[in-house]
Amino acid sequence: MKKILALLLALAMVFALASCSVEKAPENTGSADPDASGDNQGTEQVEITWWAFPTFGNDTGYEEELIAAFNEVHPEIKINLTIIDFTSGQEQLTAAIEANTAPDLLFDAPGRIIEYGKAGKLVSLDDMFTDEMKADVSEAVQSACSDGTTFWMYPLSSAPFYMGINLEMFQAAGADQYLNLEGDRCWTTEDFENACKALADAGYVPGIVYCGGQGGDQGTRALVSNLYGAHIANDAMTEYTMNSAEGVEAMTLLQEMVNAGYLDVATDMVASQELEMFQTQNCAMTFCWGTSNAISYASEDFTQISVPFPSDDGVPELETLHNGFCVFDNGDDAKAAAAKLFAQFICDDAEWGPKSVVQTGAFPVRASFGNLYEGNEEMELLSSWTQYYADYYNTMDGFATMRVEWWNMLQRVLASGGDPQTELDTYVANSNAALNG
Amino acid sequence: MSQSPVLRRRETVVSYLFLLPALFFFVGFVVTPMAMGIVTSFTDAHMGGSKFVFLDNYIKLFQDPVFLKSMLNTVIIVVVAVPVVTVFSLWVGSAIYEMRASARSFFRCVFYLPVVTGSVAVVVVWRWMFHTYNGLFNHVLVGAGILDKGFPFLGDTRTALACVILILFTTSIGQPIVLYVAALGNVDSSMVEAASVDGATRMQIFWKIKWPSIMPTTLYVVVITTINSFQCFALIQLLTSGGPDYATSTVMYYLYDTAFKQYQYGYADAMGVILAIVIALFSALQFKVMNGGTTE
Amino acid sequence: MTNDRKRSYVIFSIVLLVVLAILFLFPLYWIVTGSVKAKADILIKAGESVRWLPFTDISPTGENYAKLMKSTTELFTLNAFGYKITGPEIPMAMRWLFNSVFISVMAMLLSCITASLAGYVLAKKRFYGRAFIFTLFVCAMALPKQVILIPLLSLASTIGIANSPWAVICPVVGWPFGVFLMKQFSETIPTEMLEAARIDGAGEARTFWSVVMPLIKPGFGALAIFTFINAWNEYPLQLVMLTEQEQKTIALGIAALQSSDSTDYGLIMAGAALAAVPIIIIFLIFQKYFTQGITMGAVKG
Repeated sequence: MKKILALLLALAMVFALASCSVEKAPENTGSADPDASGDNQGTEQVEITWWAFPTFGNDTGYEEELIAAFNEVHPEIKINLTIIDFTSGQEQLTAAIEANTAPDLLFDAPGRIIEYGKAGKLVSLDDMFTDEMKADVSEAVQSACSDGTTFWMYPLSSAPFYMGINLEMFQAAGADQYLNLEGDRCWTTEDFENACKALADAGYVPGIVYCGGQGGDQGTRALVSNLYGAHIANDAMTEYTMNSAEGVEAMTLLQEMVNAGYLDVATDMVASQELEMFQTQNCAMTFCWGTSNAISYASEDFTQISVPFPSDDGVPELETLHNGFCVFDNGDDAKAAAAKLFAQFICDDAEWGPKSVVQTGAFPVRASFGNLYEGNEEMELLSSWTQYYADYYNTMDGFATMRVEWWNMLQRVLASGGDPQTELDTYVANSNAALNG
Repeated sequence: MSQSPVLRRRETVVSYLFLLPALFFFVGFVVTPMAMGIVTSFTDAHMGGSKFVFLDNYIKLFQDPVFLKSMLNTVIIVVVAVPVVTVFSLWVGSAIYEMRASARSFFRCVFYLPVVTGSVAVVVVWRWMFHTYNGLFNHVLVGAGILDKGFPFLGDTRTALACVILILFTTSIGQPIVLYVAALGNVDSSMVEAASVDGATRMQIFWKIKWPSIMPTTLYVVVITTINSFQCFALIQLLTSGGPDYATSTVMYYLYDTAFKQYQYGYADAMGVILAIVIALFSALQFKVMNGGTTE
Repeated sequence: MTNDRKRSYVIFSIVLLVVLAILFLFPLYWIVTGSVKAKADILIKAGESVRWLPFTDISPTGENYAKLMKSTTELFTLNAFGYKITGPEIPMAMRWLFNSVFISVMAMLLSCITASLAGYVLAKKRFYGRAFIFTLFVCAMALPKQVILIPLLSLASTIGIANSPWAVICPVVGWPFGVFLMKQFSETIPTEMLEAARIDGAGEARTFWSVVMPLIKPGFGALAIFTFINAWNEYPLQLVMLTEQEQKTIALGIAALQSSDSTDYGLIMAGAALAAVPIIIIFLIFQKYFTQGITMGAVKG
């Protein structure tokens, strides 16, 4: 009995060690050698990994369609897909980068990508920005793709971020009188305040200022900066500036509204949870609405209307979302080349390029794609909002720290009753320390 | 036990052969990373590279309000959880010890289940029950008219840490109960009988007869609960992400946050070193008490 | 003490125990029932009563499990000698469960082997460096593993085991608690028996195999259980080491479900049930050994 047990232990050991060494083999060699891939014919086989945030929508299967279409043209490139979420995706990326198991291709936005590029983790995409491409894509988008010297992101589409409202709730509370649905939907801070009051009085949760983490934090930044025209950073992008008089005024207003019960604050939620509250009709508006969230969090039970953020002069400044790809430097030229080829296929292919843009629900970065939403009034209205694009601060130094400081500042002011001026000063000081340090 | 130098040399060779597998894993995966961590803590290592900064990280740590708050929270968790777990498990242990065997094993099993299932499965359900809008507790409280609208248990600085400690309590009480039931089984029952014949009260029997023989178990329970409480991480990561306003941030969580969200590895490693020193101090103290308290 | 007071104390303690037991069992009940609720039943709406009871309130549905099992993958893939061996196709969630089991079982087996060898010589041999090594083991024991997460990550990537189960197994096995435990068990071995074996001409390996092993057998039970549960619940290490979808453990899987679909409670509960129920069944079957192992580990340790 004892011997059998011990023998079993030993056998299991041997089996374990054996399975270990074979399992490791493909990861190390990257199966770049044709031997490893069994029955494949002739051409050099490359296997790359692709990580994607769900920018093409949750569970749509579009990524798989793309891979299948790409493999018809390039059967020699095998693509392993992993979808990561906005809550824990960043930590997983950090862990993977530090462990040298970073994906070859990542579908993300400039904030993180430029940071990775500056840290030397990416492959330069300068060769993909051909003269033809540069002529087709606006200067603003190009500058969002680079840190000033090197292009790190290959752009697919861009769109503004704005708010979403539950029309039926607004109507039931009589708050729809404050909306400007006939015009271009721009509204003022006063309208917003009145609407929230009406909604709260009617027993609804008007909106939830989420600040439990950084997922979708651009929404709360846009809300605060629009209320009285404050700016996240100065024009030269050399300093964070939210502790201005306008910023303090905005935070003071939000604090008062929260204290009066006209807004909720949720220190245990990030945007995805707030969006789910909106989708399940637990709150009347969301601060993180956008073309792709409108797809992911659609509902048949009520009418979702997109509106810009309210501002004192009725002229909003909207945050921009750029979607694009970056290629990690995993020390293998064949993989980097394959990843670039695939990125190019997704963005530029005559058939799949426009399809991908539409799948993100955003607007193409390439002028030559033309109007992909012909006859869609809603999209044409949204497209007109691109004139309200604010300066793009996501590629500034210290961005990662600024985001952490941001939601903590919101928590201190809105949940713990901190003084807006003091807390904004702390937030700005810490962010600038990271920017300069 | 005296040995000749020749024999001892032979023993040394044999002993190291036997130790080899354990040392391989221990040196390779515990000592080496620990040394690497200490070295990194003297650098400003971040995603792009690193340079030597000597004690800067440590100086910065003691001026970092978030770190100090996280340290305070960690100590609060340990200081609250350890006595509560110890006293409660002792009480439950003695209460179920006097029951029939079947009832005893039923309760022992119930209290041990959260340990087995692991914190992740437990936390996802607690998080849902505490939810401001969808949670069971708020539904019941609002339905009963106690609250007007949902209360953010996990989102309020006054209640969040208490929620963390409550869940920590449910996942740590199982093992001590099992230990106490076993320890009470070792109490000399003839002495207990003799004492009650002599008219000793319940309390007297407990303190004079039972307590001395369960003392070693108590010390062991205190040590493991302390280590568990210091390690409280999954709970916080999944329940509150350290919020609101760092009210539930522990050193372990802040370390993770600094490294994986802000890419400051050197700074995070310095926190690790400080935490290790604090735990070492706590443990040394407890080991000392433990060795002094047992006569084994 | 009067009988009345005694009786009221007993009643009080039973009531309190039952209340506590409900507090402990309720989350599990909520997981299991939640996992079979339809989406419309699971969200608690204001003004409606909660759907508590199975069968009357809840009509069980398998839709959450169906959704959980939707995406599939291979049980394993092996590339060896120019061949690629692929396991049968299984749901991703089952693969996560398999990964958890693999990690826990491997850590358990390896710990038993390394710790029993090391514990024995530390207890019974007098050799140069013994005090130093033992002190090192004891000092390291008190540290939380998470403190060395970041250096471990770069170490794992250097030796090429990041994103494989071994990145979790090796640090768990390296943790010196097992050595400490087995040393305590080995100290109960009578030295005369070892002497006798030597006089009979048995070598060191043989002595260990036929004299020491049978005597420290109870220790294996304790150590195996500790290591299994430790590895199963070693969440932080799993979190940073295993980032690829196929390599995740069941705990990571549920955590990911929670962050990507935070209000699809049915799906999350199905995942939690998948993580909790198998190990609960194992626990109930081996309950006796669990309690024995824990007790012995504590008494000896």
